[in-house]
Amino acid sequence: MTTVTNKNETGGDVRLSGISKTYDNGFTAVHPLDLTVPQGSFFALLGASGCGKTTTLRMIAGLEEPSSGTVHLGDQDVTALPPYKRPVNTVFQSYALFPHLDIFENVAFGLRRRGIKSVKKQVEEMLDLVQLGEQARKKPHQLSGGQQQRVAVARALINHPKVLLLDEPLGALDLKLRRQMQLELKRIQTEVGITFVHVTHDQEEAMTMADTVAVMNAGRVEQLGSPTDLYENPRTTFVANFLGTSNFIEAEVDSKSGDDIVLKAGGGKLVLPEARCSAPTSTGGKVLVGVRPEKISLTHADEAGEIPEGRNRITGKIADSSFIGVSTQYVVDSPVCPEFEVYAQNIDRDPRLVPGADVVLHWNPAHTFGLDATQDIDAGTEEEAAV
Amino acid sequence: MATLTEAPPPLTPTAPEKKPPRKRGRLVPYWLLLPGILYLLVFFALPMIYQASTSVQTGSLEEGYKVTWHFATYWDALSEYYPQFLRSVLYAGSATILCLILGYPLAYLIAFRAGRWRNLIMILVIAPFFTSFLIRTLAWKTILADGGPVVGALNTLHVLDVTSWLGMTEGDRVLATPLAVVCGLTYNFLPFMVLPLYTSLERIDPRLHEAAGDLYAKPVTTFRKVTFPLSMPGVVSGTLLTFIPAAGDYVNADLLGSTDTRMVGNVIQTQFLRILDYPTAAALSFILMAAILVMVTVYIRRSGTEDLV
Repeated sequence: MTTVTNKNETGGDVRLSGISKTYDNGFTAVHPLDLTVPQGSFFALLGASGCGKTTTLRMIAGLEEPSSGTVHLGDQDVTALPPYKRPVNTVFQSYALFPHLDIFENVAFGLRRRGIKSVKKQVEEMLDLVQLGEQARKKPHQLSGGQQQRVAVARALINHPKVLLLDEPLGALDLKLRRQMQLELKRIQTEVGITFVHVTHDQEEAMTMADTVAVMNAGRVEQLGSPTDLYENPRTTFVANFLGTSNFIEAEVDSKSGDDIVLKAGGGKLVLPEARCSAPTSTGGKVLVGVRPEKISLTHADEAGEIPEGRNRITGKIADSSFIGVSTQYVVDSPVCPEFEVYAQNIDRDPRLVPGADVVLHWNPAHTFGLDATQDIDAGTEEEAAV
Repeated sequence: MATLTEAPPPLTPTAPEKKPPRKRGRLVPYWLLLPGILYLLVFFALPMIYQASTSVQTGSLEEGYKVTWHFATYWDALSEYYPQFLRSVLYAGSATILCLILGYPLAYLIAFRAGRWRNLIMILVIAPFFTSFLIRTLAWKTILADGGPVVGALNTLHVLDVTSWLGMTEGDRVLATPLAVVCGLTYNFLPFMVLPLYTSLERIDPRLHEAAGDLYAKPVTTFRKVTFPLSMPGVVSGTLLTFIPAAGDYVNADLLGSTDTRMVGNVIQTQFLRILDYPTAAALSFILMAAILVMVTVYIRRSGTEDLV
């Protein structure tokens, strides 16, 4: 990770303390929230629509007044400052480019408002950075979606804000262009070293771009961490389901051996490293055992004896399989979990692994994580989000 | 697993049947245009041609009028009635500016601040149309009556001193002065200003205001650099919709003014209906039309709105 620390501007972090937003109609979009975005980092606020991520962003920008709490940029308390006095710029969701001004004037807008007279050189450099030097005299509606998006970034970045806020900036682009712009934005961020706070509902986008991701749900931050950390060690079922896919088995704590916890599930036993369990582990207590689909190996029941010792294993019957090129996705019906998902790389395909076959699922216990069993298993899945 | 080897559907080259283009369908748009075209022909084009021919006729009521291509009527009409022309432009121009000053904040309020009151205020703007133009103007006669509360209040506040210094009122009177005529025109044409302004303001994406604020523009600067330029189409159509009918209006000058406030509309009306000098009346109408066309063209060119989306 590149962390740009400018000696002249010590502590340019964004600090939100106890910030919350309740609208006049009584709806609480953001519950009291503490969040620190380190200077120079690429920070993503990730969540489904209506989770409060955009409201949080707008409170940093000053476009929304917090009901409580404070916003600090470095040492400066900006909570009471109107947007035009904050050293912060925003890339809006649908870009909000000024339709009556050409690209050059759109980009120069912020500079001119701060009374800078000779803007030509700066604007041209910025347009070159986003590869739009040729389009300077066109109007926004003459550009494609991807080009408009880059103008929006240039218009904000030219002001050298302490923080650049991006509100779903890639939402209106098609998939291929989105992937391209993700890399582009990451490149620009590394180049200019400005703190980026990026709001998105696309977990893949958050994971590829951000150094730190905060997963938000119903106005609260569920978990905060690096993308790998969030993926490997989710602490709630919401995070486990929202970032990728997870399989859950309800299990009961049986005993402890060394750093591991032994659990009873169905008829068998499962091992879970204690460090990876975020639930209380008293003997007899319930724990949700989670494992990611790509960590699991599938072996036909006839060859169960060949599975090495010390791996977690459960039995089941293949209910469905779909070939998607790089991998094959299986849905396995198991006594401990009705829809167990397994992604198998297409290296040596066992022709017997077809729907109806009896199989043993096994994985390295190190890939197991444990969650509090009192939560909703389906939190954060797509089916739930659709309701 | 059962191996289902189903025969693939036969690949018959089904070339899409080319339908011959239907001739009847292509004529439909023209048939739909026909009623409108006929209407315009009968009630706009023919009267215009008739007026044009009247304007170059000579003769008298008793002997009848004949087309003699007497273009001098235009020159005579203009040289005799140019004060009324100037007055029309001046009064209509003042009323248009007043409408803009009154109408812009109102349209802005309805578009951005009214919230759930929006529809109610819109109805209030349009409500005067439910009564006749004449009755509304006659009501103003009562409102501005000598010694009435409005005139009394203006007098106490010394507003009338200022307006009479400007030559818009005389003494303690408002009625029968230029001020009364301009007030009447402003009142009667205000909705024509507010509605197009509202439409163009309402179309502005509120995020553009946020974006301007985010880019260090104070609220006043946001208005000057973003809101106002983007509302220009509304300003242009609103001023045209106010100025054009106001310039040709004669009811306000007739009811609220005096012989010193006669506008070109009053002259045309008198020439047509009282003096029965049809060629002069027709010539005056054409001069007015031409003058307005020229002014409007220059105005639209200068305001550069054709560039706005």
